[in-house]
Parts: sequence; C-alpha cells; structure tokens
Amino acid sequence: MVADPRLAPLLNHPAIWRGASAAQLSAVSTGFPALDARLPGRGWPQTGLVEMLIPRLGIGELYLILPALALLGRRPEARWCAWITPQAKSSRPFPPCGSLELNAPALVAHGVRLSQVLVIHADLPLWACEQALRSGACDVVLTWTQRVQPRASRRLQLATERGRTLAFLFRAFSARALQEPSPAALRLAVQPASEGGVRLTVLKSRGGSRGEVAVHFDSSAMSAREDAPR
Amino acid sequence: MSARPRRKLLETGTPVRPMLLLIPQQPSTRARLQPRELWIGAHLPQLALEALAGDRRRKVPPVRTGGDSPLAVTELEERAQHIVAANEPAVRAGVRAGMSVATALALLPQLSVKPRDVRRERGLLERLATCAQRFTPRVSLEPPDGMLLEIKGSLHLFGGAAKLTASFLADCAAAGSRPRLAIAPTPLAALAAARAGIPFEVTDGARLTGALAPLPLAVLRWPPEVLERLCKAGVRTIGEALRLPRGGFARRFGRESLADLDRLVGHGADLRIRFGAPERFGARREFTYELERHDALLAAMTPLLEDLANFLRVRQCGITALECRLRHRHAPATRCVLKLAAPAADPQRLKALLGERLAALDWPEPVRSCELRSGKLVPRPLGSDALWQPGEQGGGSRIASTDLIESLRARLGFEAVHGLEIHPTHRPEDASRVRLGLSMQPAGADTEAASAPPWPAFRRPLWLLTPPEPLSSIDALPCSEGGPLRLLGEPERIESGWWDAEGTLSREVARDYYHALDPKGARLWIFRERLQPHRWFLHGVFG
Repeated sequence: MVADPRLAPLLNHPAIWRGASAAQLSAVSTGFPALDARLPGRGWPQTGLVEMLIPRLGIGELYLILPALALLGRRPEARWCAWITPQAKSSRPFPPCGSLELNAPALVAHGVRLSQVLVIHADLPLWACEQALRSGACDVVLTWTQRVQPRASRRLQLATERGRTLAFLFRAFSARALQEPSPAALRLAVQPASEGGVRLTVLKSRGGSRGEVAVHFDSSAMSAREDAPR
Repeated sequence: MSARPRRKLLETGTPVRPMLLLIPQQPSTRARLQPRELWIGAHLPQLALEALAGDRRRKVPPVRTGGDSPLAVTELEERAQHIVAANEPAVRAGVRAGMSVATALALLPQLSVKPRDVRRERGLLERLATCAQRFTPRVSLEPPDGMLLEIKGSLHLFGGAAKLTASFLADCAAAGSRPRLAIAPTPLAALAAARAGIPFEVTDGARLTGALAPLPLAVLRWPPEVLERLCKAGVRTIGEALRLPRGGFARRFGRESLADLDRLVGHGADLRIRFGAPERFGARREFTYELERHDALLAAMTPLLEDLANFLRVRQCGITALECRLRHRHAPATRCVLKLAAPAADPQRLKALLGERLAALDWPEPVRSCELRSGKLVPRPLGSDALWQPGEQGGGSRIASTDLIESLRARLGFEAVHGLEIHPTHRPEDASRVRLGLSMQPAGADTEAASAPPWPAFRRPLWLLTPPEPLSSIDALPCSEGGPLRLLGEPERIESGWWDAEGTLSREVARDYYHALDPKGARLWIFRERLQPHRWFLHGVFG
C-alpha cells in the first residue's frame, strides 16, 4: 500500500495515527463468517450507529444481530441491552401494526440473558434511543423508526460515542432512504433471500467497502419440522 | 546551667487556685422544694383497642371497638393466645387482660377476638405525641403504651396544670384515645403513678416520696423474678422498698432496681429521648410574574430544589417521592408527582427528572406559584465515588443505569420501562411476562444460570402480537394483505389451560401453530383454532 518502502517503518510507529486504522477499533463478531469478512474489524463495531433498512418486520433482521447480543451479554461487565420496541404509531411501515411484545422464551433460546434486557415502550423512539445511548448504561440499543432525518442520526451517532454503545436503528427501506446521506458508522439494506437467509447490501461502511453479502441462517434449525423437544 | 530554667519556671508559673472554690454551692432548701421540672405521665391502658379503631386519615379498615359487642385484642405469648385488652362489654362479662383466649371464650362465647397490631399502636402513640407537642417541646415516647410531657415551662401559658391536662385529654379524645394522666416532678414517678391509675398530682418535690409510698411495686415494671423476690420478703409497695437499706437492696435486687428507685424520687439524673415528628420538606415560591414555559418554570424552581438538597444534605437523607404543585390564577392547582427508583438528594438529578415530568405536563393557565413537598426521608448510604466514571474502562454503570431508568420512567411512565421474565407455561402469551422491578444493574454473565427452554432456537418467534390478529382466509388457507401465506412444515399443537378462566372468559388454548412465509418474505407464526369455526390468527413475527 505504501508507495515508498522506506516509509513503512515510519508509519508503523505507534504514535502515528492513520485514517484506515480508525476502523480497527474493538468489534464484536456477528456470528456469520461471511458477514464478518465483509465488515471492518471483522464484526459489528462496539461503538457506533448501525442503520438497517428493512422492507418490513420479520425478514430475519433480528437473527442477524442475536449472536452478537448473546456474545456481548456473556461478558462479565455486560451492561443493559435496551429494546425500544416498535410502537403502532411509529412503525406504520412495519406491518403487522398491532401491539408487538418481545417473546422472552425465544430470546433465551438464542442465548440472550433476560436479566440484561430492558424493554422501553416510547412514543418518541429516537428520544428514548438518545437517552439510552448517552447514559453509558447500555451495551446495545435497538430502535425501530419509520424515517430519521440526517440531523437526528448525526445526534445518535455522537451519542453512541459518548456512551460507548452500539446502536442498531431499523428504518423503512425506500428508494429515497437509499440515496440519503447518513453519518452512521455502518449502513446496511436487508432483503429476504431464499428460505432461511437474507441478502445484505453494505451501503456505507466506515473503514470498509461497499458490496453485497448473502447470509444463511441454519436452515435445519429454522425448519418447524424439528419437533422432538430436548 | 540547670538552675536557671527552674527558676524561670517558678517565676512564670501561675498560682493554683484552691480546689475548694471549684466545688458548687449546695442547693438551697428553697430550690429543692421547687422542682426544676414537672412531668405529665400518660399511660394508655386501652392502646391495643384504640389503635384498631382506625385512623381517619389513612386508609386502614377501622374495627368497631365501641358499641355493645364485646371485643378483645389478643397476642401470642408462650405459644398460647392471651387477651391484651378488652372493651367495656367484655370487661363487664369478666374478661381480663392476661386471660387465655379459651377462658375468655368460655366466659363470653359471643366475644370477637382480633389480633394485636403493634405497628398501628406505635402509629397512634406517635400521633398522640404530635398532639402533645402543642403543649411542650419536651415530649418523649415510652413504648409500648406510655408518654411523658415536661410542662414546667408551659404551666403559665395554659393557665395551670388542671387546664393543661384537660385540654390535652380533649386532644387525645379527638385522636381516639383516653389516656390516664399523672403529674409528678420526676418522669419515672409520673409514669408509675399514671400506670397505677389513681389521681396523682404532686408539684412539690418534698411531698413526692410520701405520695409514692402506697403505690404497688408492679407499676415500676421490674422483671417478674425481682418482684417475686420482693414480694416474698414482704415488700409490696414503693414506700416499703424505699425504706430498705441501700447496700443490701442493691446486692439482693440489682443495681438497676436501686437506680430506678433513685430516679423515682429525683436523686439521679433521668434522661429521656425527645420525640421528633418525622420530617418532610415543604417549600413554596411565589413568582414575580406568571410563567408559561416549561424551561422558565424549571429555572424558577431551581432555588427550591437547592433548598431541598441542602435540607437533605444536613440530614444525610434522600427522598424517593417528590410532589410539585403548580398554582394558577383561576384553575385548580396542577399536581405532578415524581417517584424515584433509589433515594436521591442531588439537585442536578432531581432537576433533570422534574424537567422531564414537567415537559410531559400540560397546564391550563400560566403558573403563579409553585410548591415542593417531599415524601418520607430515607437514610441514604453514603459511599465514595468510583475512580472510573461510567463507560470508562473498568467503570461501573450502576449510577448511569439508575439515572437512565428514572429519566425514561419520568417521561414515559412507570410501566413503559420494564424487564422480562419467563413463566413456565405452555400458553405462548403467558410464557413471557413483564418484570417491573428492575435491579439497578444488569446481572453479570456468571450470576444467571443458563436456562434454555426445551426447544430449538428458531421454534418460537421473537415478537408476539397481543392480542393475536385475525387473518382472512381463502379456501380455509390463511392470507395476509399481500396474498396467500405459504405454510412451512408440520403444525405444532398447543392445548392447555382448560382449568383457567378469567371471569366468564375461558383462557383455554387449543391451537395448531404453523410457520408461514408471507409474499414479502416475512416469517410469521400463525395458528388455526381447533374449535369451530377454525379461524386463522397471526400470533407472532420471527425476527
């Protein structure tokens, strides 16, 4: 990469900070090797805003992040994992529009520890999200919202840095949203793929590159036929 | 060399005054006759009954203690129920305190029996003490059933001892209690005489010993074995005990008993703990102009919050509830109550939380004045701050999570922020429950035992719809708004809860659950009722 080989030892000096190394911050593995290989730091950043554009709820977007949530929760110094659940008002683009509640047994089955789960019902999801991010009391904050102004996501990005928190912001997928600039550290569009998987498009990745990646969940595990209870 | 300093010392040394001058003068005879203190002793023989009669201000169900129905209060003592107090009709029938319940019921079969409530008794005693503070600041509680008032300084103001006791008795009657009073120059004598239940009013120290002499020794409430030994020696009254030689009395009946006798007649100091009513903070501020905006109001309330913080700091206490009343020109006052998860005393934090509450509040008119009232003061454990701040490497997140939960709850409501827990049941809607009590710190990884449910991870959806949403169907196959749903795999049958009903509504579940893909690629959890008319419902969404 370095034009002049004589520069290399100089650039390796620890006092020198380079833009590309900003992405080498701590990351937590996504649990999917194909996705890890695509992301800078080989995983979700531990601090920063991750925007996910989803056409609707339930296409597999949560299964993408659950392994990482379980991994973060297993650390001894684990903090809260805040779920700012989609409300009927703010989640119109996410049918079904009824009242959605988190299902505790399913979370536990995925390795999430319930003692760290904090559920927040907020009419103003972005406000609650910023509070949770700034407080420094959370490891991860998950928020659903229809749309978000670039200014608001800039605020959220700054709040993640202040509280050293990872934020997942799920927002509606639309042609306009694809074009919008975003200050998020990572921006992904999620599309349902064949049974038991999703197709991800990396729209923006700080320190990484754009591109597509297909993620397959363990389809045998997804099958409802596996009946025998253990 | 050695002689000079010694001489110098002698020159500068101050002469020692003779010790004789430091000895205080003997009190004159006149001072001894006029005691410096005068005490009212109040004894509440019926406290157990009166406490049950209820407090009009609080919402405790009152027990009818008056009237003609016999009533007795009992207490468990040495594995048997004993009568503590009985009302007038019961006493007339021969029920006495100390009797066993079986005996009392044999005497009076229609006797109704209530268990003793020590907390309510204590509450009544404290209310009476608060009434008594009208007459003197020196009130002390003598649990379980007594009270002392020092009234020397108040006699002139209230027009003498007789008028003072009359108005005190009237106050007590209004609070629902009829104490027996006695007046004496020493607190112990006043209390003992009140327990004896005879009219007793001694204001002269010289007459005290003589007046006490006929009282039985039992009023001193000495241990039963001491009283029994005294009784065997033929000593039954206070006068007889006072006549015994001091040295022998102390040896045979204990130093404590002798010290009691000394205090009784005023030979020893008798210190009593003064009763203080539980403190609360209350402050009010009138604004110079009417305020409409939230931020202006919050800024105007800052001095009040700082007063509150100072008040709490000197008492090393915190509060868990704070009420704020906003007064308007015409409309009734707006109330706003702040509840805290942990005792707080920090003005910045209280201000931030109050700001959240006020921002969510609408008031009909501009605010003219505001008033702050605290809830009960709670002792606040004082600890040192951590070296690392929350969020820093090695820093705890304890304070941060308290702040977060409180500020979210202040704005969104108490129930809007909660945890989750699993309830062991087969009905999916019951298996996941809300846990409102949040520990202030998420448990670390090692504290929670891994309790994976007995099914593979992808069997249950991450989101549940409450209540399940009905789906339309074409040819008995379910459809969503986008088109027909594709069913995946075999159904899972859940049949449970036939024993459970909520009123007339049965909560029985008999369903066949399917995984389904909708045309847009979302994975849904749907079920078909097993009973007619076999409707389809959407119950969950996989993540």
